[in-house]
Amino acid sequence: MKRDPLAAIAAALLAAALLLPADSAAAPLEQPIRYSHKVHVTDYKLDCRFCHVNATKSAYAGIPSVAKCMMCHRVIATDRPEIRKLAQYWKEKKPIPWFRVTELQEYTYFPHFRMVTYGKVPCLTCHPGIDKDDIAVQRQEFSMGWCLTCHRGRGVSIDCWTCHI
Amino acid sequence: MLDRRGFLKVSGATAFAALFGGCERLPKKIVPFVIPPENHVLGESLWYASVCRQCPAGCGIVVRNSEGRAKKIEGNPLHPVNRGKLCARGQAGLQALYHPERLGKPLRLDGPRGSGKFREVTWEEALRLLLAGLADVRAEAPSSLLMLTDPMRGHRNLVAARFMKAFGSPHRLAWDPFGQDAHLSANESVYGVRDLPEHDIAGTRYLLSFSGDFLETGLSPVHFGYAYGMMRGASPTVRGKFVHFGPRLSMTAASADAFLPVAPGTEGMAALGIAHVMVKEQLTPAAAAAAALWDAGLKDVPPGVVEEKTGVPAADIAAVAREFASNQPGLAMAGDAAASCTNGVFNLSCVGLLNVLAGNVGKPGGISFPRRLAIFARYEAEAALLLPPAVSGYPAVRDAVEGMQNGAFRMALISGATNPAFTLPASLRFGDSLLKVPTIVSFASFLDETTSLSDLVLPVPTYLEEWEDDVPPVGHAGEAVALGQPVVEAFRDTRAMPDILIAAAKELGGPVAAALPWNSFRECLDKAYAGMGIDIEAAYRSGGIFSGIPETGGKAPKAGSPALPEAAEASFAGDPARYPLVLHVYPSIAHFDGRGANLPWLQELPDPLVTAVWRNWVEVGPKTAAALGLSDGDAVTVESPFGSLQAFVFLHPAIAEGVAAMPLGQGHSRYGRFAADRGGNPYALLPASMEGVTNAPARQSTRVSIARTKVKGALVRTVHPEGQWLYENIL
Repeated sequence: MKRDPLAAIAAALLAAALLLPADSAAAPLEQPIRYSHKVHVTDYKLDCRFCHVNATKSAYAGIPSVAKCMMCHRVIATDRPEIRKLAQYWKEKKPIPWFRVTELQEYTYFPHFRMVTYGKVPCLTCHPGIDKDDIAVQRQEFSMGWCLTCHRGRGVSIDCWTCHI
Repeated sequence: MLDRRGFLKVSGATAFAALFGGCERLPKKIVPFVIPPENHVLGESLWYASVCRQCPAGCGIVVRNSEGRAKKIEGNPLHPVNRGKLCARGQAGLQALYHPERLGKPLRLDGPRGSGKFREVTWEEALRLLLAGLADVRAEAPSSLLMLTDPMRGHRNLVAARFMKAFGSPHRLAWDPFGQDAHLSANESVYGVRDLPEHDIAGTRYLLSFSGDFLETGLSPVHFGYAYGMMRGASPTVRGKFVHFGPRLSMTAASADAFLPVAPGTEGMAALGIAHVMVKEQLTPAAAAAAALWDAGLKDVPPGVVEEKTGVPAADIAAVAREFASNQPGLAMAGDAAASCTNGVFNLSCVGLLNVLAGNVGKPGGISFPRRLAIFARYEAEAALLLPPAVSGYPAVRDAVEGMQNGAFRMALISGATNPAFTLPASLRFGDSLLKVPTIVSFASFLDETTSLSDLVLPVPTYLEEWEDDVPPVGHAGEAVALGQPVVEAFRDTRAMPDILIAAAKELGGPVAAALPWNSFRECLDKAYAGMGIDIEAAYRSGGIFSGIPETGGKAPKAGSPALPEAAEASFAGDPARYPLVLHVYPSIAHFDGRGANLPWLQELPDPLVTAVWRNWVEVGPKTAAALGLSDGDAVTVESPFGSLQAFVFLHPAIAEGVAAMPLGQGHSRYGRFAADRGGNPYALLPASMEGVTNAPARQSTRVSIARTKVKGALVRTVHPEGQWLYENIL
């Protein structure tokens, strides 16, 4: 079939328009502080829940407060440039404007405490590889099929309104 | 070659790419706390109980707090006044908390006095200025210190009153435009008790209201709204009947079974007509025993005479009298419009007389006088400071204005939401007089017409960020003390007025420091309630102390029939030929006395009858409008002998003829951007005249003229006043 070259250009443009944004979302974000999950979790063996305290009791895992960071960094590695940035935020009593890395569609209700406390689902199931990241990225796309595979495998509810309430 | 089809394909694809190319996901911010609030769990709400201060009713509130922010205000179900309900003004309190124009730093005058131009200064400098001023005044002439606030209750008032007394100044004034002076005076003459009674609306079977808009404004609208619902629906057998007399169909009147329009200021006469029929036909035992009243002059007001004066048909008066007498317990109550005529006490006494004739005083479904301050018995003489009488303070304010002009005051401390420069009649010239006081210090959350005249403005927390206690004026059997606590951490760099006074007293030393022997207002509250043996932490959690207070019984109303109220006719300023209409003003359901006008939620709240938003209007009846050649929506100039303003006509289908009605509350000139350009201020039309017996402000006492003019814009309404089914289409 003879293809119109212009149609091909149009298709390429279209593909670029649709795909490029998806690519850019997956790229590591330039965070205000280069926080490394690898250093904290893999090297120093901190439990995820030490910082993300709300994961066990709230729908949201939450981001640790500046006060929480300063609990340790008042004394640990205070000469590093990134820690100095942190100390500056603390000194000015300003919150750190992190960029959000992992996000679920807003029409989905995902209660962390149900997975973590009752389901005993390891954090890395949904956040794979984050313990090895120097800059966190979202590796797992949260598609409904992926969620359902796990829900079926564990024999837990797959009713629509379990998640779409 | 590019054929037509190819061109369309390319242009379509380019358009698609252009449209959706920009739709890439922008990174979202996720911002943690610097220091998380105590007991905070992400995504979970905490509810804090406190007290509403959007009007003087003193309802209990609970505020939903999540992530350290107040998100929603609801009624406190434990509070006896509002039982979990809350009105629109109470709900809108959040906007006062988050208001972009809230003061967060002390302000010092930076321009000519009264210009409203300020620069921010530090608290250290502001307090130094305040203290230097106070110390000077104290050294030379302590009695030249003036403190003018809104009516405060509980220990906030105790601190303010003690401060002034120890300072050596008797000039501690509280201004309340809707004070209950006439009610107190009438209750004293009719029942022998100078207090506000409890109206048992819930238990009554027949309710007569005389200009009492108790469901929308009045003394405690949420409480009365709840009780009204009980009266109408709680009994399985009897649905209480409600008849309303008044100059206009308010929302309350629209809820009545029958609305009988009366000429302004003749509410008392209408009540006397009912009393006449009750006594003449001996409809109740008390009426049968009231021969003295009959001879004293009641025989001279038969329904025919009453019809001439009030405009209510004689047959209706007689019918209402018979129904009222045969449906007991019945209850008669009067509201602000009847009280704020020049003959307010006469009106209210006549209404009180109906309660006596019905024999419902001290009975369920009638009225009673609880003893509200039993809990504060240990304060003895000072107990009255915790629930001061709900008077307007108008005579004292007038004296103070005179004193300002004569140079009697060297320093003025101003506080509160009642905003005297806005709510006092313009003819009193309060603003100009205040500026004659050399030093003016305000305690305020917002700049308004009064606080913008200051030399120094000290920012105070909103009521959602403050510790307080409160005794509601009505709505409980004497058992309620409400406690307020900060429901969020203070948003701005503010200090509460009692805390500033306590700190200032420490610096001043001597008897002033001894009078306020605490380190903070919180400590004052804690110690006071601990001294009464109350677990204050538990009380803060539930929003107050609602039970367990010793019941020592109410004051007993005097027995027997009262004297016939001395006849008095309402007078209206202005020549009827030049000013043909009588002006009826009423507090707006959204803005009350004007304090809510800077909150957009309340600006966009449609009036329940007029459905207008963001502006004020003037209501006239169809016949009056036809006589003046006016039609609905016309721009007009409303002129009284004391001032004029521009407004839009609302053709009210149910208002007494010859009356022009206007809501109060709009027309601010210095209350921020949301309150600006909303029409004229109706307070400016009012005379400085006073109610004949109590010297309370007589708002319903002037005539106006209305003439067509040109005004930009139009009155924005959600529906036509006749509803979606216009009369012409159904008739």
